[in-house]
Parts: sequence; structure tokens; C-alpha cells
Amino acid sequence: MDFYFGLAQLIGVHTLLGLSAYIVLLTGQVSLAQAGFFAVGAYTAGMLTVLGGWHLVPALGASALGGAAVACAVGFPALRVKGLMLVIATLAFGEGVRLFFFNFDYQIAKGDIKVGPLGGEGFRQIRYFPENGWSTGEVMLFIWLFVAAALALLWWFDRSRYGTVLRAVGEDELAAQSVGINLTAVKVSAMTVGGAIAGVGGGLYAHYTTHIEHASFNILVATFAIAYPIVGGLRSVFGTLLAVVFVQGVLVEGLRFMGDWRNLLFGALILLAMNLRPTGFLGGRRA
Amino acid sequence: MLDVLQAASDGLLFGATYALIGIGFTLVFGVMHKINMAYAAASVGGAYAGLLVLQVAAGAPPWLVFLAAFAAGGLLGWLVYLACFHFIPLANPLATLMSTVGMLLLIDEVIVHATEGMPLSYPAMFDDVMLRAGELTLRGDLLLVFGISVLAMIALLLLLYRTRLGLATRAVSQQPVAAQLCGIRLVRVNALTFVVTGLLGGLAGALIGASVGALSPLLTTPLTVKGLIVTVIGGLGSIPGAIIAGLLVGGFESVLQMFRGVTERDLYVMLLLFVFLIFRPGGIFAGSASRD
Repeated sequence: MDFYFGLAQLIGVHTLLGLSAYIVLLTGQVSLAQAGFFAVGAYTAGMLTVLGGWHLVPALGASALGGAAVACAVGFPALRVKGLMLVIATLAFGEGVRLFFFNFDYQIAKGDIKVGPLGGEGFRQIRYFPENGWSTGEVMLFIWLFVAAALALLWWFDRSRYGTVLRAVGEDELAAQSVGINLTAVKVSAMTVGGAIAGVGGGLYAHYTTHIEHASFNILVATFAIAYPIVGGLRSVFGTLLAVVFVQGVLVEGLRFMGDWRNLLFGALILLAMNLRPTGFLGGRRA
Repeated sequence: MLDVLQAASDGLLFGATYALIGIGFTLVFGVMHKINMAYAAASVGGAYAGLLVLQVAAGAPPWLVFLAAFAAGGLLGWLVYLACFHFIPLANPLATLMSTVGMLLLIDEVIVHATEGMPLSYPAMFDDVMLRAGELTLRGDLLLVFGISVLAMIALLLLLYRTRLGLATRAVSQQPVAAQLCGIRLVRVNALTFVVTGLLGGLAGALIGASVGALSPLLTTPLTVKGLIVTVIGGLGSIPGAIIAGLLVGGFESVLQMFRGVTERDLYVMLLLFVFLIFRPGGIFAGSASRD
């Protein structure tokens, strides 16, 4: 049973990652920086619970704020340019965050061992869950609480005026601008909300894996983040959820018997999916 | 001061390979208004394929390996076009972005799988030659890398400005519809652009392998990021911009490596990109008001 709980934890965290890219994609922007926001959240929450001795919930709040602040800060210069330039800028930013944590040391002695992030070796012993006696099932429920909240929030956005504004910008920037929508404000706000969601996802990720390192936040993770909503389609938030379940549940776990060849399949399947269904599983007219 | 000059000149020579990668990105952007994210990975893939020559004929001279990498790069470029662009509606920008990222991961994994993730040593030419220019020392292998890159760039410019294919390519990049009305086959020009950039990429990959001394799958991500940074700094679609920006990034990173070490240098290259995004979003040669 623990195996399925573990899988559900992974799916939950990846859903948060996918949703963080989903809201940015609604405005027609492609951000490859989500892995960076994810990393900021992971390190923030990990350092607060391990080094600061905080409770997990406020620590996750801090990761949300951290992710949002960084996303907002990236959003302003990066959104001066649009479309493909933004892809490049966010890709470079995401790699920059990864390299930052590759060079980041901050260790303090706790008992007889030193804890904290240590450059290339990563950040070990984020043992909040085992220390406080949480079972795998409880951790899974805790994670899905946040997933449900994020899904509900974005679902509600989609039905509110704000969601309409986001989609209007995504459909046609010029038309949106001409009816008085402030493009920069809309894009930066979407980026900020996405950063907050990715930050929470990162914080949860750090605690259930107990060990994070720079390689956990590489371009593959950034690709996963935008692949979920694109493969799932942008019609609804549930497309993203469906895509995560399909990719992590069916492909990654279901193909485990293939060993190393599994990794090869991921790239090939994205290629195939895009050739067969360029607008995603639940896609509408535009992707 | 001399150290700084030495680092800058080494970096400048090596930067010629970044310029080649940047040209590949920028040329595809100019013709199709798409980013081919798989380009740097395909270049490294071409360089790896060049090593197959050594498998067939052990002790083959390095230039034969370079030539094989050049040809393999062109073939890979055509495959990338076929798999990522040919069957996908071009009006949908997300789909081709995603398909090329998928291709990037696929090529990466094929390389990891074929080499078991171990770096392979790459043959170099003139690596025992040292030229002295005043106080500076110029490494022979880097000079060769620079020379071959410059020749490749000249060949490309001749192709673009002196042949019918180049004329067609430039026509498509300016006005695809008008070009089609004049009887230019869009699909053929697009495919050939990928072959030409693939050839350049395979060569660039081989030159990088030769000057670093080894190839590793770990090269693909930094090379993708730096190639794209070069493209942005030079201005999307501008070939002269990509050349200047490639040399600039090469020199900059080499100097920063001297001061801050190899693990931190890429961080500063990314900061350089953001400086350009804020102050000159259109690239070196664009007016400061121009935007994508």
C-alpha cells in the first residue's frame, strides 16, 4: 500500500508543478523557469524546518511567498520581451537558479552532525515527516490537500473575471490591450501565482523525498512542468491532472519493467503526442 | 592584467563555436519563426556520431572524424525537421516548442544510453602547437577551432547571399507567402535550412569536443542555454549579431572562470543575458526600442 501512497505523493507534487505552468500558459506565455521556482520553494521550506525549526505549514507559506517573489522579479524584465524570447529568458533563469544552488553552502551544526545545503552534494536530512511520526498515508493526504486547494483556486479563476482576462491575453494580446487590459499586470500576476504554486510544490517535494540537490531541478523538471498542461490541454485544469496521472502513473511506473529504456521513451512520447494531438488531450481550438 | 587578456583570448577563440551554435538557432528562427530547442543536442549528437569513424577504422585522422560529424549533423538536422516540424501545424507555437524539447530529451537519452553516461575522449589537431603573440600564448587547437568556425561562417554567408538556395531562404524569412507565390517551395526551404544548420551544428559539436578534449552528455544543457543566450544577445534572426555575441559570451565566460571558478561562471553568463534583456531586448544591433 505504501508504494501507491508514494506514487500518489509524487503525482500530487507534479500536479502542483504542472498547475504552476498552466496559469502562465493561459496568458500565452511559455515559462521554462518553473523548475527554478520549485527549487526556491524546496530550499526555503527545507531550510526553515531543518535549520529554523519551524512548523511545516508556515514554512510552506514562506516557500509560496519566496516562489511568488522570485517569479514576480523575473516576470518584470522577462515579460518586456514576449513569446520565444521569454522561453529563452526563463530557461536561462531556471538554469541560473540550479547553478546558484549548486554553489550554495549554508550549514550549521545540529547535535553532532552538520545539516543544511552543501553545494553539489545537496541538502540531506529534511526529516520533518519521520521526526514527527507522520505515516506515508498522512503525508499523501497532506499533499493532496494542497493539490485540491490549488485545483480549486485555478478552477475558480477560470470561472471568474480574472480567468477571462488571462485567456483574453492568451488569445490575442492586441485585442486584449485595446479593451483596456494591462498586459504587463496580467502576465506578471499569472507568473506570480504560478511561482507561489510551484513554491508550495517544491516545499512539499523537499519534505517527502528528504533529500534535494541541484540536479533535482534541471531542465527535465522544467520540461515536465510545461509538458503536463500542454499534453493535457489548456481547456481545463483537469487536463493537467490527467496528464500527470498518465505520465507519472501509467508511463513512468507502468513501464518500470523496461529499465533504462524508460527514459528514452519520455522524449519519444512527447514527440509522438505532439505529432498526433498538437492541442493536447483535452485541447480546444488553440493549445 | 596579462592573465585577464590570456583568458579573454582563449575564450574568444572558443567562443567561435558558441557563435556557430547561435547561428543555427538564429537561422531557423529567421526562416520559420520557431525555436529549435533540440539544436544543441543534435549538434552534440552529430559530434558523437563522428566518433563512429574511429570504431570502424581505428586510428583515423581527426579531420575525418570532423568530416563525419559534419555529415552526421546534417542528417540529424533533417531528422529533427521531420520529427518535430513536418507533421505539426506551424500555426501552433506550443506544439513545435514541445516537440523539439521532446527531441532534446530523446537525443540526450540516446547518447547517455549508447555511452553509458561516460565521457568519451575526442581527437584534436595541433594540440601540441603553441603560438606566441607578444606576451600571449595561443593554443594551436583553439586557433584551428577558430579558423574552421570562421571558414564555416564564410561558407554559410556565401550560401545565403550568392546561391539560389540562399536567395530562396532569405525570401522565405522575409515574406513566406510572397515567396510561395514566386514558386519557392516552402517545405523544401524549411527542410534545407535544418540540414544546413545541422551541418554547422555537427561541425560545432566536433570542434567543441576537440577543444575540450572530451564529449559528455552533460554538455547538451549548457550548450542549449548558451546557444540561446547568444541568439538573444545577438538579436533573434541576426547572423552577424550571433557571431559577435558568440565571441563575446566566450570571452566573458573565460574571464569569469578565471576570477570565480568553473562552477560559478555560467551563472554570470545568465546574468549577462538579463542585463541585455533589460537594457537591449532587441540584441546588440537593434535600436533599444525594438522588441520581438
